[in-house]
Amino acid sequence: MRKPISPRAALASVCAASVLLGATACAADAPESGEDGPITIGASLPLTGEFSQGGLDTQQGYEVWVELQNEGGGLLGRDVEILVKDDATNQNTVVTNYNTLVDQDGVDLLLGTQSSLLNIPASAVAERAGMLYVCPSCASPDMFNRGFEYIFFSQQATASTQAETFAEWVADLPADERPATAAYPSLDDPFASPVVEGVRETLEAAGIETVYADVYPATTKNFDAIVGAIRDSGAELVVQGAQFEDGVNFVRAMNRAGFAPELLYQSSSPTYGEQYLEGVGPENAQGVFFSSSYHVAAETEGNAEFVAKYDEMFGGLPPEDAADGFAAAQVVAAAVEAVGGYDDQAALADWLRSNSVETILGTLRWNEDGSPDGQFLVGQWQDGVSDVVLPADVATTDRILRWRGDAL
Amino acid sequence: MNVIQALVSGLLVGAVYALMASGLTLVFGVMRVVNLAHGAFAILAAFLTWTLWSGLGLDPLASIPILSVVMFGVGWLAYVLIVRHVRNRHMSMTILATFGIALLLEGVMGFAWGNQSAAVRTAYTDSSVTIGPLYLPTVTLIAAAIAVVVLVSLKVLLDHTWAGRAIRASSVNESGALLVGVSVKAIAATTFGIGIATLGAGGAIIAATYPFIPGSHYQWIARLLAIAVLGGLGSLPGAVIGALIIGVGEQLATLWLGASWVVAVPFLVIFIVLLVRPQGILGQRLREDAVA
Repeated sequence: MRKPISPRAALASVCAASVLLGATACAADAPESGEDGPITIGASLPLTGEFSQGGLDTQQGYEVWVELQNEGGGLLGRDVEILVKDDATNQNTVVTNYNTLVDQDGVDLLLGTQSSLLNIPASAVAERAGMLYVCPSCASPDMFNRGFEYIFFSQQATASTQAETFAEWVADLPADERPATAAYPSLDDPFASPVVEGVRETLEAAGIETVYADVYPATTKNFDAIVGAIRDSGAELVVQGAQFEDGVNFVRAMNRAGFAPELLYQSSSPTYGEQYLEGVGPENAQGVFFSSSYHVAAETEGNAEFVAKYDEMFGGLPPEDAADGFAAAQVVAAAVEAVGGYDDQAALADWLRSNSVETILGTLRWNEDGSPDGQFLVGQWQDGVSDVVLPADVATTDRILRWRGDAL
Repeated sequence: MNVIQALVSGLLVGAVYALMASGLTLVFGVMRVVNLAHGAFAILAAFLTWTLWSGLGLDPLASIPILSVVMFGVGWLAYVLIVRHVRNRHMSMTILATFGIALLLEGVMGFAWGNQSAAVRTAYTDSSVTIGPLYLPTVTLIAAAIAVVVLVSLKVLLDHTWAGRAIRASSVNESGALLVGVSVKAIAATTFGIGIATLGAGGAIIAATYPFIPGSHYQWIARLLAIAVLGGLGSLPGAVIGALIIGVGEQLATLWLGASWVVAVPFLVIFIVLLVRPQGILGQRLREDAVA
C-alpha cells in the first residue's frame, strides 16, 4: 500500500508546481555571423503564452522586413538575418533570452519584444550591454523614466497620450451630444492603465463626471460583476484599457447585461482585426473606438511594399502588431545606414534622438528619453471595416458612430 | 439587489469552476497525482470544440458527448505513455511530468491551431434570461446545468457502479484491491481518463464563453489548483464547495471592494481556511468516502 501523503506535503508540492509554471523557455540555434557574413539582429518575442498573439504578429513584421531588406540589397550591402527566441510571455525568460543574444549569440543589433510588461526588463539588458534597443510595442510611460539612453519606442505616442486625440474629440463634442458621465475599467497592465488614465484626466478637466474607475487583474475571465457595476453607475461613455481577451469578454458581458453606453473606447483589443470581429461579432464591433498606430491604406514610406509582401508571405492584410514590428526594424535600419555602421551603438542612439525616420506608421521622432513625440490615429469599426476617423485630415471616413448606433 | 445578482452570478460561475476542478481533484484523490496539465487538456478540448463548430457547424453543447469520449482517450493515452511511469515516485516527479505534458500540449495546440485567439459565438453567447431585476447569462446558466449533470453523474459513477467501487478501492488500498480481483493498473488509467473526460464538457463551455489561446491554460490551472486546495485535494464535494466559494467570492469582492481585489479576496479566504484546516474544507473526507 502506498504511503499516504500528508496535506502539508501535498500543499508544498502544489506550491512547487506554481513556481514551475513561471519558467519556460525555448531557444533557436544561433546563426553564423561575421564581418563578411550577414548582419544578425536578435530579438525575443512572446511566441507562446498570454501575449503570443501579438508576439507572432510582430515576428511576421520582422520577417517581412528581412525579406524586403535583403531583396533591396540588405543593410550596408550585407544580407540581414534575424534570430528570434521565444520568451513564453515570461519576464524572467525574456531577460535570459536577451542576455543570451548579447553574450552568447553575439548578435550585431537588437530589436525589442512585445508589450511593455516584457520590454521593461528586456530593455535593461540592452542598456547594460550598451546596445540600441528599438521596441515595437512598449507604450508604458514607465519605459522612459529610468534615464536609459539606448531605448526608443517606434510608434507615435506613449500610452498616456495614446488616446489623447479621442479624449479631446469627446471633450469638444456639442453639449447635447457629449456624454455627461464616464466609466474607466482597465486591465492591470503597464500599457493599458496609462491609456485610460490619460483619457480620464482630459475628460474630467472638461467636466465629464467619472462614475466608475477600477483596475482588474489579468486573470479576470468573468466581467458580469464589473459590467453590472458600470451599468448601475449610469455611464454614458466607457473607456476600457484592454489587451485582447478581456476586451472581447467585456463586450460579451455588456450584451448579456443589456448595457449599451453611447460611446465605447477600447485599447488594443479592437486592433486585432478579424479575431476581434469573430470574438464580439460585427454588429457589436460597430462603432467601437480604438487608437491605432497603423492603417493598411496609409500612404507612408514602404507601406505598399509591406502590405504586398505580407500578403505573399502570410496571406491577408497585416495586423497592427506586424506593422509595428516592421516599423521598428525600419527605424534600426535608418540609424545604421545614417551612421554607416553599428559598432558604435551610442552613435545610433544619438542619431535617432536628433533625427526623424520615415516608416510605414508615418514620420517618427523622439524625445531625449526615447519616447516618441507624435500622435496616434483614432480608429473605429464601421460595417465590419476598421476606419480611421481622427485626426480629420487623415480620416478614411467623415462619419463617426455611436456604439452600435447611428452617426453623431 | 446587487448583492443577490452577485450571489447568483457567483454560484453560476462557481458551478463551472466545480466542473473544471472535478477531474483534477478526482485524479489526485485516487492517484495522488497533481495534474498540472489539467488546464492544458481543457484548452485542448476548447480547440476541438472550436474545430467542430467552425468546420462542421456543431454547437458546443452538442459536441460534449463526442469530446468526452475523445478526451477520455487522450487522458488514457497520456496516463499510459507518461504518468504511469512516475506515478509511484515522489510527488515532485508527477508534477514535473504533468507540467511537461502541459508544455507539450501547448506546443501541439500552437502547431495545430496557431497561437492566435479562437472564439466561438453562438446564439446564447451574448443573451441572458431576465427574472425580475436579475439577469442570468444564458451561457453561464447552461454551463451550470451541465456542470450539475456531469458532477452528479460522476458521483453516481463512483458510488453506485462496480467501476466506481474499484476506483475507490484502488485509492484506499491497492494491495487489497488486487486481492479481490481489481486490475489496479487498468483502473488507474481509467480514472485518469475519466478525470480528463470531464473536460469534454469543461472545454466546450470555455469555448462557448471566453476567447482562448494555447497559453490560456496557465490561468485556468492556477485557479483550479486554488479551488482544489481550498476544498481539500482529493475531495469531490470539497472541490464543489471550494469552487462555489471562489465563484461567489470573486463576484462579491468586485461588488464591494472593486475589481482589483478579485484575486486577493478569494486567496485570503483560502489562506484563512488553510490556517484552520490545513487539509482543506473536506480534505479528510475523501478517504472516508472512499472506504464507505
